[in-house]
Amino acid sequence: MTEGTNVDLRVNVAGIELANPVLLASGTCGYGEELEPFLKLADVGGIITKTITPEPRAGNKPPRIIETPSGMLNAIGLQNPGLEGFVEHKWPFLSKLDTKVIVNIAAPTVEEHGEMTARIDALGGVAGIEVNISCPNIKEGGVLFGCSPTASADVVATVRRNTDLPIIVKLTPNVTDITAIARSVVDAGADAVSLINTLVGMAVDLDARRPVLGNVTGGLSGPAIKPVALALLWKVRQAVDVPLLGLGGISTAEDALEFLVTGASAIQVGTATFVRPGAAAQIVSGIDEYCRDAGVTRVTDLVGTLRS
Amino acid sequence: MKPIEAQDVDGIVVSHEEVADDFRHLKIKIEGAFVDAKPGQFVQLLPGRATSWPLLRIPLSISHIDLTASTFSVLYEIVGSKSEALSRLRISDPVSCLGPLGHPFPPPPVGARPLLVGGGIGVPPLIHLGAHLRSGGLSPILIVGARHAGKHLPPKLLSPATSDLRQATDDGTLGHHGFVTDLLAVALKEDVASTATDQPVIYTCGPHPMMAAVARAAEEAGVLCYASLEEYMACGFGVCVGCVVERSTTPTSAYEQFTRVCVDGPVYDAREILW
Repeated sequence: MTEGTNVDLRVNVAGIELANPVLLASGTCGYGEELEPFLKLADVGGIITKTITPEPRAGNKPPRIIETPSGMLNAIGLQNPGLEGFVEHKWPFLSKLDTKVIVNIAAPTVEEHGEMTARIDALGGVAGIEVNISCPNIKEGGVLFGCSPTASADVVATVRRNTDLPIIVKLTPNVTDITAIARSVVDAGADAVSLINTLVGMAVDLDARRPVLGNVTGGLSGPAIKPVALALLWKVRQAVDVPLLGLGGISTAEDALEFLVTGASAIQVGTATFVRPGAAAQIVSGIDEYCRDAGVTRVTDLVGTLRS
Repeated sequence: MKPIEAQDVDGIVVSHEEVADDFRHLKIKIEGAFVDAKPGQFVQLLPGRATSWPLLRIPLSISHIDLTASTFSVLYEIVGSKSEALSRLRISDPVSCLGPLGHPFPPPPVGARPLLVGGGIGVPPLIHLGAHLRSGGLSPILIVGARHAGKHLPPKLLSPATSDLRQATDDGTLGHHGFVTDLLAVALKEDVASTATDQPVIYTCGPHPMMAAVARAAEEAGVLCYASLEEYMACGFGVCVGCVVERSTTPTSAYEQFTRVCVDGPVYDAREILW
């Protein structure tokens, strides 16, 4: 589709050379394998794994998901095979992919973030580490770190001490001032910031007078949160100087381009993959087409060009 | 058993009609792997003109396949705003189809007599299964239950699946006044009475309490039972990890405690599930 054109879609995010600015968001692409029938993973800039934790996790009791207006709530609870399960069963597939692989981690304690980082660093071939200090659906770790500037800084500093790989920190929107957290993690050594994780939400079954989700609350994603994500991206863009990875409701190339011009160096596709598993590749094509039509030769020329 | 590789392709509505109270029969013409879908597999549908609602696809089991016409059918009940959005599809409308998804029903053991037990909107995959078994020379019994007569699918839709249809209604307006498990108990006794080697095998799909009761009856009778589970889904191909159910056995890793209905199922040996 891009044959014969000369749009340069490459972006460099904190030292990670991506073939294009479109990544698969953590928690929406598993560990890559299930998407293969629908999507050539080499067509996207990178894949960010589902969060792994030090030990295997069962996840939350169902129901775990429910559709809401223009979005969905999830409360999966980080079901994952644990660090060693990941290394043994998931990494062999990922390591052979012709795309950048970023490993997303979360842990109940600050120290365990460091231990996980060292193990992942030693694998060789990982493009970067995304630190999930923003999962709203677990009882320990996750958003408890991400809501506090000092706790997030502790986590990031510990990760920093254990690797020279690029560190991306994924931020929660469920805070009073996201820029305070952003500054704090950048000061502690983060090379880039992803935003936003899901917004805490709840659905009610009126007939049963019960919460729909087994976890009571969940994380809201999908088109419903795109305006929130853009606003927070715009705020954080003015607060820190590191590259930003934008996400939150991106479903089309136009959505992705809006994030790029607002200041994201790259974007992540999440919930859209659930609906159209090939969505990320379609977004790459759409960005290319837009650039050709607009006479843009390098996609990086669009980043942060919002007039305000 | 590796299912056919799934595809994301557009189909066209060729017919769409009401076949029972709030039940619709939707037939879609499509190219590709769908017509090779095996009984028990499902499809994730998205009405072609949908914009913001529904956001997520609607998972439905395939009930009929017509190889000559290159069509497949689904049967669904209008129960909420998502199925209501599907019900607005008209002939010639495009429908985005993701599938076929999931593992099909395993074939019956050699010599086993298949007993198909369905309730409500769980009946469609059993129609596909019954037709498939009959084409292989078997004679499945089809036991179906519904709340009342108006909720029963018409004989013309059920007839490809069986020559031995037994129906129950909760209110007695059609067939046996009671549950499908009553009819199952009768059928199980018949089999025992026929020949000792003619061990039955049960295939079930329907509301959770019904399947739990069927699974219990199967266990008590010492009969193999396969259940096709229906859970709320986002993706349908394994990445969202939303449609899980709990396993009955204690796994070696906590990671295995919950199983994904879309890719590990939807068909399970009933003993694997914590009902």
